[in-house]
Amino acid sequence: MTEKKKDNLTKVMDYLKHEDPFSKGVAFCPGCGLELLLRFIPQVMGNDIVITGTPSCSAPVLLGQNNQSWHTLSYFGTLMTGAAANATGLARYYRKAGIKNTVVCFNGDGTAADIGFGNLSGAAERNEPFIYICYDNEGYMNTGIQKSGTTPFGATTTTTPFGSASKGKNLRRMNLALKMAMHKIPYAATATLSDLDDLAKKLLKAKEAKKRGFAFLHVFAPCTTGWGFAPENTIEVCRRAVKTNYFPLWEAENGKIRMTKTVKKPKPVSTYTELIKKFAHLSQEDLQILQDDVDYEYCMLGGLSLLEGECRLPASLED
Amino acid sequence: MSSNKYFKHEGPWSDSNDPLMCSDTGDWRTKRPVVDKDKCIFCGFCAIYCPIQVMEMVEESYFSPDLDFCKGCGICAKECPKNAISMMPEGDFKK
Amino acid sequence: MITKVQKKSQIKVITGNAAAAIAAKLARPDVVAAYPITPQTEVIEQISQFHANGEMDCELITVEGENSAMNAVMAASLAGGRVFTATSSWGLVFMYDAILAAAGARAPIVMVNVNRETPGIIAVSSGQQDMISTRDAGWIFLIAEDCQEVLDLVLQAYRLAEDYDIQVPVMVHYDGFYLSYLSEGVDVPIQEDVDRFLSVLKTQPERTKLVPGGRLGCGSHGILGGYLELRHKHVSAMERAKAKFQQIDKEYEEIFGRSYGGLVEEYRMDDADVVLVGSGSMCGTIKSVIDEKREEGVKAGLLKMRMYRPFPSEAMIKALKGKKAIGVVDRSLCFGFKGGPIYTELKAFETKLGGSKMISFIDGIANTDITKINVATMIDTTCDLAAGKNVREVTWVSYPEAQEEGGL
Repeated sequence: MTEKKKDNLTKVMDYLKHEDPFSKGVAFCPGCGLELLLRFIPQVMGNDIVITGTPSCSAPVLLGQNNQSWHTLSYFGTLMTGAAANATGLARYYRKAGIKNTVVCFNGDGTAADIGFGNLSGAAERNEPFIYICYDNEGYMNTGIQKSGTTPFGATTTTTPFGSASKGKNLRRMNLALKMAMHKIPYAATATLSDLDDLAKKLLKAKEAKKRGFAFLHVFAPCTTGWGFAPENTIEVCRRAVKTNYFPLWEAENGKIRMTKTVKKPKPVSTYTELIKKFAHLSQEDLQILQDDVDYEYCMLGGLSLLEGECRLPASLED
Repeated sequence: MSSNKYFKHEGPWSDSNDPLMCSDTGDWRTKRPVVDKDKCIFCGFCAIYCPIQVMEMVEESYFSPDLDFCKGCGICAKECPKNAISMMPEGDFKK
Repeated sequence: MITKVQKKSQIKVITGNAAAAIAAKLARPDVVAAYPITPQTEVIEQISQFHANGEMDCELITVEGENSAMNAVMAASLAGGRVFTATSSWGLVFMYDAILAAAGARAPIVMVNVNRETPGIIAVSSGQQDMISTRDAGWIFLIAEDCQEVLDLVLQAYRLAEDYDIQVPVMVHYDGFYLSYLSEGVDVPIQEDVDRFLSVLKTQPERTKLVPGGRLGCGSHGILGGYLELRHKHVSAMERAKAKFQQIDKEYEEIFGRSYGGLVEEYRMDDADVVLVGSGSMCGTIKSVIDEKREEGVKAGLLKMRMYRPFPSEAMIKALKGKKAIGVVDRSLCFGFKGGPIYTELKAFETKLGGSKMISFIDGIANTDITKINVATMIDTTCDLAAGKNVREVTWVSYPEAQEEGGL
């Protein structure tokens, strides 16, 4: 009986080779996607990573209080403006000193797409040897749900409220991951929490790619509190984001894009938005704008993934 | 010299060689996941998707939540392919 | 300044910027990150060339902005590295958040700041306003008078910043456009001597370092009394820096044959009745005017501030006590106060000066030269003050219109 049951065990378990370095009781909201991601990363990549964190939802847990910590990882807690530069300084010093290292620069979309984008881009341009992970909850959640560059069209936040003169966010979101792939870095990818095997593979690929330079991972991490969906729906929201092509899963090696999960018959984006209160006010016409934006991004991605020829790093940059 | 009462180092360093901080997040729960051992096929989806990673393997036969820390989000129940987990009001368990 | 001739070192005619770059090279930093800005650019150009030539074995990070320069060296420093960066003016202001963070994290960074104005409109001109805008960041500030002192202070700064008892970042300031581009003879020490000077740091306990798998984290929230404890530790370290710098200056003399007297340099102060308090490149001019005035029988002296943060109040009080009149020359403004910043700060200790009278001179900002004529005017005015004449509290030396308008 037991043997038979063991065969059922999800293969994701095989990726969890290391201990969860976090204390069991930490202050993330029930159903928080970020908490799952944060516990998942070191279980896959190892506990010897150095993780950097900035003011964000992750800060109350990543950063300690006085002499005490919530986890056993080495961490560097600092400012949103310079997160990628901090990671650069760490990785470069370790390289100079011959210290084996995996520096993971872990930031929300506010740091990655907005206030810290300049130095993220700079670090990517210089092909700095570390891994940058953006957990994207589409806004400034820790300060109380404000709009960011990745907040999608139509979403209400406290700085893009719905009203007679506003549909919520009246602008479209940026595509951060594509922007990063365009830096021609060794590795860029998107991932989310419904597809943990895909996420695990990409974490390991990023760790490998880091030997050749900059690796970027954009992880879609829904926020139950800020978006308004039931805590049990976190994974379902991720799943539907993938199935509607709202958040397609792909990877780019040296700038060459490849879909890691192709959705044969994508569902309308409304099957995704219907779970989430921040879209609840949108009319059919408004939803069509969001749908068009999703289609537009997918079209761009699809076109890039069809480009023929092989992208290779110049020989001098190969390890 | 200043004291080292709150910090052991000159700067803002924390040291996880000391016991980790830990909150009683189990107290937050309004609903409790209850696992039907017979229905459980030991696929582990509840465990991998649990944000707190508190679904523990029991005798390599079924999973059971660590109720000291389970926040009661209900992801395990939602993601269970066999509907083997039900979320029961916490009040039902109080004496 | 006492100078002994060193056989092994070499006199080179170089700019202040080159002196800073050479000093950085001699200190053998692990990581250098910097971004160009006038008038600092030559520093990172020279370092880049040293690096390209294989003369400098460091990780050189050509960042996309000053904010990243400070963030990169902060992290590298807390990981255990020796670091260097350089900036000026708007660059300094652009890294302001990281400057505060680096100080709070007690990252022993050494940075040169080539002083330049920071007005509301873009202006490429001299002045120490950038320094003043960061004076309460929790850094140690040292100010160089000439190109030689630029080199000497950078080397001394490493001993101070990285000292186990201090662990506070140090900024070495020197006047942009004057020292940055001025070429003069600089005694460049040999590598072995610099290594010897800095080797003292290796005998000290290791500072806390961020190591992969080391179970330590940097950037922990200070809560309850923890925050106060960190701040008090920082303030205490700043206080300790005064005596430490005095000692480093002595040890520097033993190896390199040059001493400046530590926190302040006193020039013809022993029997002086009137004193100018100054800092930076103006001090050379002041010294020569004092020599001339002395020949006229005016007992004038100079108190040069080498350290500005921590404020060397004890050393200044000791040197100034009992003088008849003191004129403080500021190359910057203290908005909301009429007098200059150093004047305003020194005023806090007026009651400890034994009755010395004080006045403020504002000069040398916006590319106005602090000429010998200007200095003579300052000394004359200070003499008038000593003689009990009615003298304005604040004089904008190169802008007589300020006085005519009758505002200040």
